[in-house]
Amino acid sequence: MADWRRHRILMVSDFFYPNFGGVESHIYYLSQCLLELGHKVVVMTHAYANRSGVRYMTGGLKVYYIPWKPFLMQNTLPTFYGTLPIIRNILIREKISLVHGHQAFSTLCHEALMHARTMGYKVVFTDHSLYGFADIGSIHMNKVLQFTLADVSQAICVSHTSKENTVLRSSLPPAKVFVIPNAVDTAMFTPAPERLKSDEIVIVVISRLVYRKGADLLVEVIPEVCRLFPQVRFIVGGDGPKRVRLEEMREKHSLQDRVEMLGAVPHARVRSVLISGHIFLNSSLTEAFCIAILEAASCGLLTVSTRVGGVPEVLPDDMVVLAEPDPVDMVRAIKKAIALLPRIDPQEMHARMKKLYDWRDVARRTEIVYDRALKCSNQNLLDRLSRYLSCGSWAGKLFCLVMIIDFLFWCLLKLLQPAADIEEVPDMVQFHHQDEEILMDDSQHQSSR
Amino acid sequence: MNANSSPTRPRWKKVAYGGMQPGYDDNYTDESFLEDMVMNANVVKRDMIKVMRDSISISQYLSIVALVGVVWTYTLKSTLDENSLLLIDATLLVSGFLVLLLTEEMLSLNLLFHYFLNIAFFMTGLYVLAPIYKTLTRSISSDSICSVTVVLLIVHLFLHDYSRSAVNAPGTWKNPTLTNCISLNASIVASVFIASRLPSWRNVFAIMLFSLLVFLFAPLVTYCIRKYSFRLHILFSFMLMVVSLALVYRLHRLLFIMFLVLLVFVTILCPYWLIRIQEYKFEINGPWDEAKLCFDITD
Repeated sequence: MADWRRHRILMVSDFFYPNFGGVESHIYYLSQCLLELGHKVVVMTHAYANRSGVRYMTGGLKVYYIPWKPFLMQNTLPTFYGTLPIIRNILIREKISLVHGHQAFSTLCHEALMHARTMGYKVVFTDHSLYGFADIGSIHMNKVLQFTLADVSQAICVSHTSKENTVLRSSLPPAKVFVIPNAVDTAMFTPAPERLKSDEIVIVVISRLVYRKGADLLVEVIPEVCRLFPQVRFIVGGDGPKRVRLEEMREKHSLQDRVEMLGAVPHARVRSVLISGHIFLNSSLTEAFCIAILEAASCGLLTVSTRVGGVPEVLPDDMVVLAEPDPVDMVRAIKKAIALLPRIDPQEMHARMKKLYDWRDVARRTEIVYDRALKCSNQNLLDRLSRYLSCGSWAGKLFCLVMIIDFLFWCLLKLLQPAADIEEVPDMVQFHHQDEEILMDDSQHQSSR
Repeated sequence: MNANSSPTRPRWKKVAYGGMQPGYDDNYTDESFLEDMVMNANVVKRDMIKVMRDSISISQYLSIVALVGVVWTYTLKSTLDENSLLLIDATLLVSGFLVLLLTEEMLSLNLLFHYFLNIAFFMTGLYVLAPIYKTLTRSISSDSICSVTVVLLIVHLFLHDYSRSAVNAPGTWKNPTLTNCISLNASIVASVFIASRLPSWRNVFAIMLFSLLVFLFAPLVTYCIRKYSFRLHILFSFMLMVVSLALVYRLHRLLFIMFLVLLVFVTILCPYWLIRIQEYKFEINGPWDEAKLCFDITD
């Protein structure tokens, strides 16, 4: 592979393994597939417990766990400039050409993108979440996002709804925002080898039991469905503050033998829970994309979901039954799904999912975005400051000040520790290159545990 | 956006599955972009007169607090002696009860007895504690007490619940919020401070009773009046404002001007300001909003 085509990418986010969720697996799979395409990928995140320093993951994916402790919901304390020295070091050491930040909640991502822009790198940002415009938290969050995105080279969203949301929040031109959805590891989520018995119908729910995931809807829906269909059984996987309410509901309606509560399910066991059911129920109140639906569909389950956020875009109409987020309509949708069930073939569903979603496809599409980002013209500080200034009458000036200080801090760092003094990491890619096929096969096995 | 330019090119669909859509880049923006966005869906059109009428409650309470301040000052200057103070207390108590009786149709004899019992307890407690209050702040200078009192009153006014949304039946509070509690406590502490500067404990008792009567029950009484008849509420408020303005005028010229400006600001300028900034209201809703549950969650 010609060297000029290769990108050297630094993925930055507060969220990465051992934490688990949509963003984490997105970064992991995207990195793996980009490595497979011959790019160099390095991940940077904050330290998790005693996991601090440099680690290698499957396929030679290098991960920097920088020694910053998270302080709230796995986020690092926003210090603005505290991370500049270490980020500059990593960027120079790894000879990075492009920085890719993930998730709008991540303070580390915002800081890294800001420093990278100060140092003249091209940056790409992926937004994984939706945000409203009404409450005070969102207003501030949106301002921060506007600050980061004011100067970003290209942005990626995981669904079209998410793109609309991001364009409104950050006032980016829509042409700069790409839609590249998540995908699912279809090799890991395979259907049960033989078809389940159809004399009993099992509905599976796997989600964190919190308000935003619609746990309160479940409390209303489950007893009603159990009353209407004596052959239906529920399996609820996941933990959270609303678990007590679900257990109360189970006691109140004496459904102990028909609603099984599993507690938190580790990701490696998700498939084994999924394949014991016929229908997957998702009751989220807001969702930018929802990987859980993909995993369920890949295991051959028929999905019933609330029609919120980007969910309607995720699956073709014949693979999902959508409902408004109110109990009556959800019961109707489950009724419809039970009627549809005899016509669903899990193996066929799995085969279709294989065609619809593939992380390799995601990586190829992301590669195009990287190419575009690198073609963006270089800008000097003054050009960029004028862009920040247009962010708002007060906020704009504040943003400018932040950027000017960042620039001065960078100049000081260049004096104290010239780039020539920072040792560059030797590339191990050549070594990987020869037996890339074997390595990647290996990684597939390991990741499918 | 030439979506239908070539016949071979399939229509763009708003879906995420199936990889990149043939003929369209990932950053393609369709005409349907943002078509589900709703702007200013629940904006209330405000009427100047109505906002002004609503703001009267604020001016009314400001006047009440101003009156309390005037009484405090006169007592501290010893212009008002304890007997006239007790007379004022009694008048307030009786008139407050009359208002409650006249405006509340639900008031039974039983409830009235309950009230009397409570007030008796309350007054006895205050009577017993008055000597303690008298010496409470002896070691602190009058100036610091006065300034702290002013600050506490400002806090009280700032956090006071002017809409009376927390009240449902006479005297019973429906989950008072933190700010309500802070506001009430600030006013009570202020009264204790002022009372502690007085020379005799009978004076202390009289002034404490007066302040507590006003701070605890004036919101309830004004609320009952407003609920009974809005016209009466307006009339009552204007009366209070005129009386307080007159008394403040007799007390101090500069204070009078400041108070007048404050009242004008609250009743005329603020409503006008609110109406003016309405046009900048910009509310966006769309499919990205978190869905609202259509039933009550009782934890």
